[in-house]
Amino acid sequence: MNRLKKYFALTRAGIIECVNYRMALVVMVFGNLLYLTLIYFVWKAIFASSGSDVVNGMTFESTMIYLVLATALFNFMEMYIVWEMGRDIQSGKIALNLLKPMKYKDYLFWSVSGSFVVNFVFTFIPTFLIVMLVTKGTIAIGINLIYFIIAVVLAVIINYEIDFIIGTVCLYTESIWGINVMKQAVVALLSGATIPLAFFPDKLRAVIAYLPFRAIYDTPLTILLSHNPDTGMVAEKMLVSFAWAVVMSLISNLFWRISIKQVTVNGG
Amino acid sequence: MNKEYMIELKDITKEFKVLNRREGLKGSFQDLFSRDYKIVRAVDHISLSVKPGEIVGFLGPNGAGKSTTIKMMTGVLEPTSGELLVNGRIPYKNRTQNSQEIGVVFGQRSQLWWALPLIESFKLLKDIYQIPQDEYDGMMELYGKLVNFDEILHKPVRQMSLGQRTLSDILATFLHNPKVVFLDEPTIGLDVAMKSKIRELILELNKQKHTTVILTTHDMGDVDALCERIVIIDKGKMLYDNDIAHLRKFFGAYRTLKIRPRENIGVMVEELAKELETMDVRISHDNEWVFLLVNEEKTSVLKVLGRIQEKHKIKDMQLEEISTEDVIKKIYKEGI
Repeated sequence: MNRLKKYFALTRAGIIECVNYRMALVVMVFGNLLYLTLIYFVWKAIFASSGSDVVNGMTFESTMIYLVLATALFNFMEMYIVWEMGRDIQSGKIALNLLKPMKYKDYLFWSVSGSFVVNFVFTFIPTFLIVMLVTKGTIAIGINLIYFIIAVVLAVIINYEIDFIIGTVCLYTESIWGINVMKQAVVALLSGATIPLAFFPDKLRAVIAYLPFRAIYDTPLTILLSHNPDTGMVAEKMLVSFAWAVVMSLISNLFWRISIKQVTVNGG
Repeated sequence: MNKEYMIELKDITKEFKVLNRREGLKGSFQDLFSRDYKIVRAVDHISLSVKPGEIVGFLGPNGAGKSTTIKMMTGVLEPTSGELLVNGRIPYKNRTQNSQEIGVVFGQRSQLWWALPLIESFKLLKDIYQIPQDEYDGMMELYGKLVNFDEILHKPVRQMSLGQRTLSDILATFLHNPKVVFLDEPTIGLDVAMKSKIRELILELNKQKHTTVILTTHDMGDVDALCERIVIIDKGKMLYDNDIAHLRKFFGAYRTLKIRPRENIGVMVEELAKELETMDVRISHDNEWVFLLVNEEKTSVLKVLGRIQEKHKIKDMQLEEISTEDVIKKIYKEGI
């Protein structure tokens, strides 16, 4: 318990820090609404031009529900870890953070965990409630919620590990912007955050099935939106996500160990 | 290695591999594929032993290798060769565990939480370092006695003045009662009053907690006020390791008189060289100021000033302690 206390202390501080920036919260909620309005009209146009109510097995309504929830999920999942690491590295503050009595990776994760909590409460939950009320009954309330939460925890871990790997690259490049933009684009596209995977061509979908990204948005949302989910299907998806979380964590640990050694030997 | 020492460096060398950069657009593209590295030796065979409770000042100009040495002692950097023990451990090998027992302040970089009031940062550090409640309370009580706590304790760090922030950073560093504290340029950018406040605080904490303190600075005043023992580093090499009294003969009686003349500076310097020939004054200048290094055992600053004013008009003047660079120059010239 005492071991955990030092991590939760960081979460607590993160929450206080977040709530301190009141305007930022307001802007975030507002920007979110703006983005949702935009995708509403984009997809309305897509469905209108296709001339049928069902495109790739999805109705306009189910597409919208998926995208709204994906956006809400994105808002608390995107923690700008790569930025944070890049800034630490460029400013040299990383030297201070390396000298904290916990691993840098843990320190960073728990430092941002506070904003996870705040964003989950202030954007995901309200969005979810609104979608549920507006679409009455499209989202089933039952065991799928619990599966969803487990899937989100795994998604958070996988997302963090990917960010941490990309952030580690900054140790070599000493620049962040380009790498981060590329990472965001790749993850947003291949995870199903911006376009439901059902709309992808079959060949690309086959490739995506073997990548970790879909575990971040596609898996949790598919589970959330399914009625009476088939236990076998859920178990399989979870297992895949879990395996990716383990693999990505091993890769990021190894990569970090090698890279930080490079820094301490050759200087930074 | 000897147990009675808190820090031991034996023949420590640190080399960095730096890419030889070429000029221009074409050169930049060539650099992308270049394997043309040069080796820069930042620290060159330094040996040093520090006893528990000592305050040791590392003095040297910018780029001398002070910070690199400190970073090796904290474990952020690994020495290229040599043996290094801090608190009986090899610092870079077990960084996380090691950091529990050391404290670090790196210049103007704050380890405090920007948006939080100071007290929240303290509470956080208490949990992160797992400081027992009674020790924490004891430390806070001590801090309350040493500094005017109330005006900063509930202030968010981002609203603090630089002086308050440095003060807070130092308090935060001592909070988990580390055995060794490293202070990298703790008084940089502070005004005279704040400098002396910070010095008093460091001295008092060292006395009360018997903490070993290693500090780097290029301010002679810091060294004079805090350190019994001085290590001077220049270009990676150790130039001097002895007590302060011994060093005083290099800077004690010297003052730098800075003068901004109304006339052409080059002409004035030439004339001054002749006029002050008998007074044992070393003259140098930049675009704006003439610097006169005066040995007060032989001539008083006022006398020099009087002599100058006989012939020249002065726009502005300042009196300063001898600079680190001058001390080093004198050591090179005169030997120890």
